[in-house]
Amino acid sequence: MQKIEKNCALQNEKIIELAGYKKEDFSVCLGCKICASVCTVNDLSINTNPQELLSSLFLGNTIEKDNPLVRYCTNCYRCTSACPWKIRIPEVVRALREDLGIESQFEKAFKGAISIWGRVYEPYVFLMSATFMLKEGYMQYMPKWLEYISFHLPHKTKRR
Amino acid sequence: MNILIVGGGISGISAAKVALKGNHNVTILECAAEPGGLMEKIANCRVGFKTFFDEIRHDPKLTVIKGGKIIGVEKRDGMFEVKLESGNSIYADRVIVATGLSPFDPKEIKGKRIITSLEYDALIDQRNEELPAQFGKVAFVLCIGSRSKEYPLCSSVCCSYTIREIKWTLQRAKPEITVFYNDLRFFGQEFYMEKAFRDAGVTFVRANSRYFEEDEKGVSVRYFTGGELKEERFDYVVLSIGLRPNPQLVPLSKLFGFSLNGFGFVKEEAPLRTDVEGVYVSGGALEPMSIKDAILTGFGAGMIAIRNGDFPSEAIRNDERFYREPEPEITTPDGNFSSCLFYLGTEDTGARMFYEFVSAKFIAMARDLKKAGKIVYVLTKNMVTPSYGELVYEDARREGIVFIHLEEGEIVTFDGDQARITGLKREFVLNAGKVIRFDDYAYLFKEKEFLSLYRSEPQLRWSPTKWGRKRYHVGFIRHPRAERWETREILGALGEILLDMEEERVLPEVNEERCSGCGSCKDACPHDAIEMEIREKQIALFGPQVMSNVPIARVKEDACVGCGLCASTCPSDVIHFNSV
Ligand SMILES: Cc1cc2nc3c(=O)[nH]c(=O)nc-3n(C[C@H](O)[C@H](O)[C@H](O)COP(=O)(O)OP(=O)(O)OC[C@H]3O[C@@H](n4cnc5c(N)ncnc54)[C@H](O)[C@@H]3O)c2cc1C
Ligand code: SF4
Ligand code: SF4
Ligand code: SF4
Ligand code: SF4
Repeated sequence: MQKIEKNCALQNEKIIELAGYKKEDFSVCLGCKICASVCTVNDLSINTNPQELLSSLFLGNTIEKDNPLVRYCTNCYRCTSACPWKIRIPEVVRALREDLGIESQFEKAFKGAISIWGRVYEPYVFLMSATFMLKEGYMQYMPKWLEYISFHLPHKTKRR
Repeated sequence: MNILIVGGGISGISAAKVALKGNHNVTILECAAEPGGLMEKIANCRVGFKTFFDEIRHDPKLTVIKGGKIIGVEKRDGMFEVKLESGNSIYADRVIVATGLSPFDPKEIKGKRIITSLEYDALIDQRNEELPAQFGKVAFVLCIGSRSKEYPLCSSVCCSYTIREIKWTLQRAKPEITVFYNDLRFFGQEFYMEKAFRDAGVTFVRANSRYFEEDEKGVSVRYFTGGELKEERFDYVVLSIGLRPNPQLVPLSKLFGFSLNGFGFVKEEAPLRTDVEGVYVSGGALEPMSIKDAILTGFGAGMIAIRNGDFPSEAIRNDERFYREPEPEITTPDGNFSSCLFYLGTEDTGARMFYEFVSAKFIAMARDLKKAGKIVYVLTKNMVTPSYGELVYEDARREGIVFIHLEEGEIVTFDGDQARITGLKREFVLNAGKVIRFDDYAYLFKEKEFLSLYRSEPQLRWSPTKWGRKRYHVGFIRHPRAERWETREILGALGEILLDMEEERVLPEVNEERCSGCGSCKDACPHDAIEMEIREKQIALFGPQVMSNVPIARVKEDACVGCGLCASTCPSDVIHFNSV
């Protein structure tokens, strides 16, 4: 049973700032819990609801180190992709981790890989595999990749 | 006059009816092979459309052009020349745009068993003798393609048509049904249907999903409720798709020169008018709306197109046949509190019919209080802000009002200024200096059920505002949409009144020679349809012939409903129904 009592609204606003967004980018959440239906952490059978994380932030509750998202979020952006408002939950999680001074398993591994290969690794892999990808028809997935990459670009918003 | 109606859906046909009744020439231009629009694709609605259309189909003043495409428009001396691809031209004094809506296509999530509500309607259509063999469990998923960053409006009809689809499903088979929803935007009686279906075992889950895994035998759906992730198998998943503006409006707006709003619907310069003189608009070209409202605005656009100038005038607006319920007073509280909590939920089914009204009021109050610097929580069981109303709800969320979405089965108990929310896996307490609950206002709606009935009652569908021959409902019940709906409703009602005359109206005739101008008939007429006109008349029968100005009764054709009260009142027996 989850009990919520503490109040640290101000600190939570700092977390949103830390994530590099405005409060409204998150408070526009509809509460539909689509994010929870697709969240990768739930594949590990841990009952996780990213919407609840947002809700806690706005209620001014403390989010603890052992929150399953803080611990296991893979930054996969599945939630963002499915979310009707394209809310970037993993970025809040990253800000929280920073605030709490922790790193996820995934990030540890990723940073480890970079420390061995350096960033050069990525274009190198791409170059090496380009001919192979062309030959095997992998280019058909290009639009999907671009779509994925487009998450990391600023969004156009259709407004009134 | 020649009236051109672009679009042969239910709204266009409704406009045609009114214009034909007003004795004008009407051309309906339909781009598809047959008129019908979306109704043609909805199970069991097809018949209704056909019956409705059959009434005018053979009218000699009506021309229907099928498969027509407009390639050019020229306006000369107030007359439109509309050039078609076929090489022909249509000449029209007035144009009504009734091009309807475009159902959202969820191509990325669709599958063989993950189908849209349009496909589902075809599946359960009464024309099909048999339902699919495997039909034991069906899920409905609401808000597909609406209420999102990409398209922020609520489509207003998908909750309602889903409850209709459930009804038709249960009439034919008894599958287990689950509805995944964010909010249930029903109107009027639909709340009673919801209750009946809940009692009959339909499950409602206040959580949406995008996890659908389809295989040969069915679909697995994941959803998060009661603090945990659930996975369930269904035979079919029905996506309740939203209604978007018709993309055809873009070329049409360029051809005719009218503007569209930021979402792609026609910009309504004044009720049912575009910003181009002589071009009117109705139905789904305006905003997402139901069949009933498409008929209403069709009647209204037909009415306004056959009139001139500033219509409806102030006098018409104040006609006593238009019934407006006084709006219940709900005012923003003030006082020395720093936080306020709204509870938007009620267990009273009758009061639920006022969800739209209370939702709008609560949001407006919440925003006021937030602007005044208070902390504002809104606990919602349901939030009914259809169509453009969703934008206000969006603004409220952006402004930092904290909305807490209560799940099915979660209970709120109040202890003074404290609200305790008890769910399956969560329990928490919110403290607020001021608590405002739906039920605090429930008394305002006691014995007012009739107000909502006419928005959903099926038998009233063909006459959307009419309550009785002397009572047409306009205004309050659509709050806060009443502002843009009231004039539309008045216009629609005027169309209904005009059409009503068809069957029974015979005008009384005044024998002017013998009328003594006593005015008894004027007093007797309940519709203010008799005017005492001052005319020059020879008054002396013997002696010198003198001309003098005397009053004489005249029947106003527009207002008279042919009730006959004048004839029975006249002391000199000068008013008669000659044709009977
Ligand atoms: C799956 C589904 C279920 C629904 N169920 C219900 C329900 O149960 N109850 C309810 O009240 N509402 C329901 N609706 C909504 C209902 O369909 C609409 O309210 C209604 O059809 C709107 O009528 P309309 O005449 O404005 O538009 P439409 O029905 O869309 O008709 C527009 C017509 O214009 C034509 N047209 C378009 N562009 C042009 C052009 N450029 N030139 C010439 N012609 C053109 C089209 O071919 C079409 O015939 C449902 C909608 C959907 C998608
Ligand atoms: S990014 Fe994190 S929160 Fe989002 S779906 Fe992936 S694991 Fe879940
Ligand atoms: S999917 Fe997006 S809008 Fe829906 S609850 Fe999650 S974060 Fe909020
Ligand atoms: S009517 Fe509104 S709330 Fe209901 S399913 Fe459609 S978009 Fe969603
Ligand atoms: S028939 Fe009725 S409505 Fe018409 S003028 Fe006489 S009293 Fe008035």
